[in-house]
Amino acid sequence: MENALGIWGPQAVMMAVTASFTVLGMGMLLAAVFMKKRWKPTYTFELGFIAVMLGLVFYADQLSVGTYAAYQENLNADEKKVSGKYTGKGEAAFDRVVTVVAFQWGFAFINEKKQMSRNAVVVKPGEKVLFKIVSNDLIHGFNIPVAQITAEIDPDGKREVWIKAPDKPGKYLIQCVNYCGVGHTQMKAWLVVKGDAHSAERKNHGEKTNGGA
Amino acid sequence: MAAREMEELRMGNPAHWMPENIIGNMSLKDLLVSNDYRHIAIKGIFTAIILLAVGGFFAMIFRSELALPDVQFVGAKVYMTLMTMHGMIMVFGFLIPMVVSICYYMLPRVLGTDRLYWAGAAQLSYWILIAAAVLLVIGRPDFTWTAYAPMSIRTGNAYIWMGHVAIILVAVSEFFAGAVLVRNAMSGKGGWSDTPLMAWACGTVGLLFMASTLPLAFVGYGLLADWAGWGNTAYFDPARGGSVQFFLYMFWTYGHPAVYLPFVPAIAIIYTIMPRILGNPMWSYWSGVIAFVLLALGAMPIGPHHFQPLYTVSGGYERFVQILTLLVFIPSVLHVFNWTATLFMNPIPDSARRSIPFKFMVMSIAFIVYGGATAFLNAQIAPDSDFIHNTYWIPAHFHAMFFGFAGQMAIAGFYYLYPYFTGRMFHQGMANAHFWLWQIGLFIKITAMGVAGYLYFPRWVYDYLDLPGWPEAQLFITIGGFLVGLGFLFFAVNLAWSARYGNAVDDDPWPVTDDEKAAVAAAPAE
Repeated sequence: MENALGIWGPQAVMMAVTASFTVLGMGMLLAAVFMKKRWKPTYTFELGFIAVMLGLVFYADQLSVGTYAAYQENLNADEKKVSGKYTGKGEAAFDRVVTVVAFQWGFAFINEKKQMSRNAVVVKPGEKVLFKIVSNDLIHGFNIPVAQITAEIDPDGKREVWIKAPDKPGKYLIQCVNYCGVGHTQMKAWLVVKGDAHSAERKNHGEKTNGGA
Repeated sequence: MAAREMEELRMGNPAHWMPENIIGNMSLKDLLVSNDYRHIAIKGIFTAIILLAVGGFFAMIFRSELALPDVQFVGAKVYMTLMTMHGMIMVFGFLIPMVVSICYYMLPRVLGTDRLYWAGAAQLSYWILIAAAVLLVIGRPDFTWTAYAPMSIRTGNAYIWMGHVAIILVAVSEFFAGAVLVRNAMSGKGGWSDTPLMAWACGTVGLLFMASTLPLAFVGYGLLADWAGWGNTAYFDPARGGSVQFFLYMFWTYGHPAVYLPFVPAIAIIYTIMPRILGNPMWSYWSGVIAFVLLALGAMPIGPHHFQPLYTVSGGYERFVQILTLLVFIPSVLHVFNWTATLFMNPIPDSARRSIPFKFMVMSIAFIVYGGATAFLNAQIAPDSDFIHNTYWIPAHFHAMFFGFAGQMAIAGFYYLYPYFTGRMFHQGMANAHFWLWQIGLFIKITAMGVAGYLYFPRWVYDYLDLPGWPEAQLFITIGGFLVGLGFLFFAVNLAWSARYGNAVDDDPWPVTDDEKAAVAAAPAE
């Protein structure tokens, strides 16, 4: 998967912390069982260890919240981050607004001209796309691995998420990630990227290109 | 002297029982209705092992299905039924009853009461659970163990109500089990600070059982009422005015503590058999007590971290849940630190190194470290909502915790108790084969699940696209799963064969020799 992904940086840090913690814990265990030297830790040592854990809790909280807030800021920043939750203001900032109906079992995409397509949405490379997702039966998931975005929609609610389409033309998986009945496995769609590359120099984010699919 | 005896009792040091052939001398009546704590516990333990075989067999079937993409061996309906039954049977049928039964067996001896108070409630709890298992097998629900509304009331299965009733019965059964644990935890002599760590564990988790099963029972009732349309009520069905959010909060108020219900008794088993096998007390008593109390307090409020990508949980509340979830690290680390320090501070006797319960115990600690480290991602809003939610990362995490830790600890407790209730020692070679197959199989399986999750492989699918990395990860999970299955065969053959042909044991089966005790005494104190 190409590294055009939204929260790749923080994730890589998290994976590193996870891996080093596993290695540290297992290393301590191996040492305790196999080393010849015996050692009785003090309570002070344990308290120090707990302090490190509290530091990690603080760090994880800050990083997670910061990453989340950055989704919104990155909407209008230069195109490093590529996806995010969208709070419902300023649709004009997007090149394309697509309403997604999640149902048992599939996705329907409705564009700004009220044209509907089933199980595929066509976008141009590099476009900013806003998905307004609704469900009329039960809880569904909406996950685009290439954009590293997941939303879940319960039947009372509406969710909005946005992505920046990949620069490379091709078709990318969209899948449901919440079990929604026996047809859950079939609940997939494609993000089809084709056409001219979206102009990267475009300065005015409020300007719209052709809205239809 | 009295203080020293109390200390030894608290740390579980003296030989617990003399081995005798309790199983061989049990009559059918003993098996069905006897209220002797050992009879109830043995019944629970062996029922759990049978259910482990059943749940594992289901896993073998759907692992075969998933080994290759685009090859169908069972269809969606059968796959999802097997998956649902696998989850429910393993957690409600194997893990929780197994560790609770081992606690029923050990508690009376650890506390010196030599009887199980409220044994009738334990008996009732067992038979209600059997009824739930029978209903599940007949009803064959396919709504996964989380039974999300309104999906779980619209599955087009005429017998689906059996699944809803089974949920209520599981809640009732676990409520009684929790009451028994609390009652017995309070039955020891002396004050708070004389209470053994196992009793602290059983007391705190017993309260958690009793508190958390109430919302579960309501979830079962609400699903049943909505499905049947009783009196035009609608608790969870949004089409008729019910609320999915209500369901989510009710369910996960049980659903997160449900993870701790097998987890805490498994921890209690470590605190009981580790000092026995090593011949020296735990590193710290109060560190363990504090950790048990914190774990019980933290369990119920953090349920919403299970549905973070829904907008239902958001803002400051979501962050509050995130911080509380991250703070669960503290009690977990207190426990792991305590165990590691205990292993580190004195020479480990050769008899301990060779003993199978000790090996399983050390490796379950390794797996709690593995699973706990992965939880660092799960707890955080940003990586959880957009990266790992409902991918195979989650099964990787909970198989490390449930199976790698709690399940293996239950097996360690079983091997430890085996000579006490059969009067014979199990076959060391077969037990070693079981041990190694499980460690290798589990490690492969869990790691490959983590990799699949990293590649956004979604949960609950019976077939998948041939995307980069997906088939390879699935193939490795299947290989790991079959190694675990092979290990189980060694286990099953061993426990049947050894009950008849194993070496007879008529003294302490887990002795620490005088030489080894001298080595412990000679070790530097600080």
